[in-house]
Amino acid sequence: MAASGALAGTSFVRAGAAGILAAAEAACTARDEGAPFETLSDAEAREFEAIAARILPTTDTPGAREAGVIWFIDRSFGSIFQGRLEFARGGLAAFQAAIPAQYPGAHAFSDLDTADQDRYLATQESTGFFQFLRIMTLAGFFGMSSYGGNRDHVGWKLLGLEHEHHGWQPPFGYYDAAWRRDETDDA
Amino acid sequence: MTPETGVRFAPRERVDFVVIGSGAAGGILAKELATNGFDVVVLEQGPYRTAADFTHDEIAVMLQFELLGGTGQALQQTFRADETRTAEVSGPLPPAMYAQGVGGSSVHYSANFWRFRASDFRERSLLGPIAGTNFADWPITYEELEPYYTRVDWEIGVSGAPGPSDPPRSKPYPMPPMPIKSAGVLLEMGAKKLGLTPQPAPLAILSQPYLGRPACINCGFCMGFGCEVGAKSSTLAAMIPQAIASGRCEIRAECAVHRLETDAQGRIGEVLYYDASGAEHAQKARAVVLAANGAETPRLLLNSTADRYPDGLANSSGFVGRNLMFNGHTAADGVFEHELNEYKGVQVTRIIHDFYESDPQRGFYGGGGIDARPFLSATPIMHAMLGGPPGGPTWGAGYKESVAWRYSHQMSILGSTTSLPVDSNNITLDPTHKDPQGRPSIRVTYRDHDDDLAMCGFLRDRALELFDAAGAQQSWAWPVAAQTSGAHLLGTCRMGDDPATSVVDRYHRSHDVPNLFICDGSSFVTSGRGQPTMTIMALAFRAAEHIGRAARANEI
Repeated sequence: MAASGALAGTSFVRAGAAGILAAAEAACTARDEGAPFETLSDAEAREFEAIAARILPTTDTPGAREAGVIWFIDRSFGSIFQGRLEFARGGLAAFQAAIPAQYPGAHAFSDLDTADQDRYLATQESTGFFQFLRIMTLAGFFGMSSYGGNRDHVGWKLLGLEHEHHGWQPPFGYYDAAWRRDETDDA
Repeated sequence: MTPETGVRFAPRERVDFVVIGSGAAGGILAKELATNGFDVVVLEQGPYRTAADFTHDEIAVMLQFELLGGTGQALQQTFRADETRTAEVSGPLPPAMYAQGVGGSSVHYSANFWRFRASDFRERSLLGPIAGTNFADWPITYEELEPYYTRVDWEIGVSGAPGPSDPPRSKPYPMPPMPIKSAGVLLEMGAKKLGLTPQPAPLAILSQPYLGRPACINCGFCMGFGCEVGAKSSTLAAMIPQAIASGRCEIRAECAVHRLETDAQGRIGEVLYYDASGAEHAQKARAVVLAANGAETPRLLLNSTADRYPDGLANSSGFVGRNLMFNGHTAADGVFEHELNEYKGVQVTRIIHDFYESDPQRGFYGGGGIDARPFLSATPIMHAMLGGPPGGPTWGAGYKESVAWRYSHQMSILGSTTSLPVDSNNITLDPTHKDPQGRPSIRVTYRDHDDDLAMCGFLRDRALELFDAAGAQQSWAWPVAAQTSGAHLLGTCRMGDDPATSVVDRYHRSHDVPNLFICDGSSFVTSGRGQPTMTIMALAFRAAEHIGRAARANEI
């Protein structure tokens, strides 16, 4: 069985494997060198990054910002989310439309302080745009860093996943370790 | 890297067999026929990847469905819940889910290898008819299939230990079960408290080096991924190398069959296919072994109409494509005080078969098995996407903290169940959509039978009881709902003695077309308890023996 629910309503467009690999390598380099964005304008990137940074905020551990998720997002429109850029642009415009009226003096999501950002985001949770941004943020934060995000494997470190391990040996967890001790005692 | 594809045959050269599909059944049939002295061409629509090509790349595998050949949109499969509706291309997940590539879905499966029981083959006799269904006995028995289950254990490579109510086996498992994980321990604890009888999970994953292949390294990327070390017992790892070494088998990858061409006598003369460039070829053969899976097999037959076969090849019964069975699936999740670290190691190490048999006391037909596993929380993106308990945060600092803690503290208890064979669940040709090769799209029409959903609900409730008994801090169940996608593609060309109600005979030969054999999940008469591959493989070993015998006697 598979992850039908989580992915429903989101279109993943497949680019060629070679193209994805090339884009991924380019994204990696760009993130580390702070190169210009490829598909997003600086203003768009600022908003996408601000949203991503509230989905996975910086706390006592690194968040989407430190993971370089915006580099993943920028490059993904040219590869794995090819064909979705216009949807995302239109979605961003609609997402921000109510901000100036609600927050005088503010024009964009990134103009708000984080408390207001969270309050505003809570009103947008059910939109397709937010769901799409959420998936992109999670893919950028927890995916392989070759795609442009997950800088220094901060996403995997958050989970306690030691990226340098490619395999494991038992005991794996607390309960099977205890089970093995009991087995030994019985023997 | 370019894998070894074996001997080469010219398409105009009439080989003994064309095997269509290289998965759980096709890989075995190709190896068995080639090593028994027949010339074999295998046509596989997906690419020829080897262990070195498989990765832990969750974006490619779980978001882009690299091993499936792309998303549902890319494949242009269509779905509808009933026959009155127009089927549509919908979400990213293909309605009929299978891996494309040499080794087929045996490459990406989780490798739960449960044998059927004797009762599975004769449930109609045991339980009586079920109105509105095509519920029937198999034409073969467990006793007839047992030697071939044992061959799967020993030749494909299965680890395990006998359970209290397992069917009889003629030989022990070739190797011990995989090391128990914390989810397995907790399932075992909970089950024993409830008076149930948990047992080690039989898995087609090597717990020890075996047949020149290495033992599993417990990397955790099993479900949906290809194995990077060859420890998962796919036909790619266990059969294809032997098929090639025979010097009689050519693997032709990225070749998509679109039509079986019949002659005036009604026999198949040529297999028509498109190569990777889209060029059409015809391969001549004495006989065809169709093992393309329970969705592709009926599609090809339905797309091979001829004057003599106006409703599609091998379809005088009208049963081609009908009786599609996905198996039912339920999931509940729970969290525990201490670390489980379920992302390490194989998916399943303990199972419960106490609810295997259909019990009239429950008030509906059905049976199933229960297992404990990380499920989609084995890998980071899926874990983060699916979130935690209902009503919990899906973004923000609290969400981030929950995702991090649950990754090491969460597990799932799954139920896998029966599906009933009904006419209205089926594979047909979509009247408007075409797939990337230009073939009529696979159209899936499916709605779980009410009994199937009732059985799912029953196992979901048991899962929540098990979490309580095991001392979970919190547990929650996924809703039971009609499925819109299935990875188990069963029943669509079923076997039987009566040509009016089955597509192939007990030896997998088409009732209608004498030189056509069909063996894969489509051959199933009933669905088993949700882990079909072991039985697909046993059927393939058995079919290969009978097909080889017929070929030697010039009866193909």
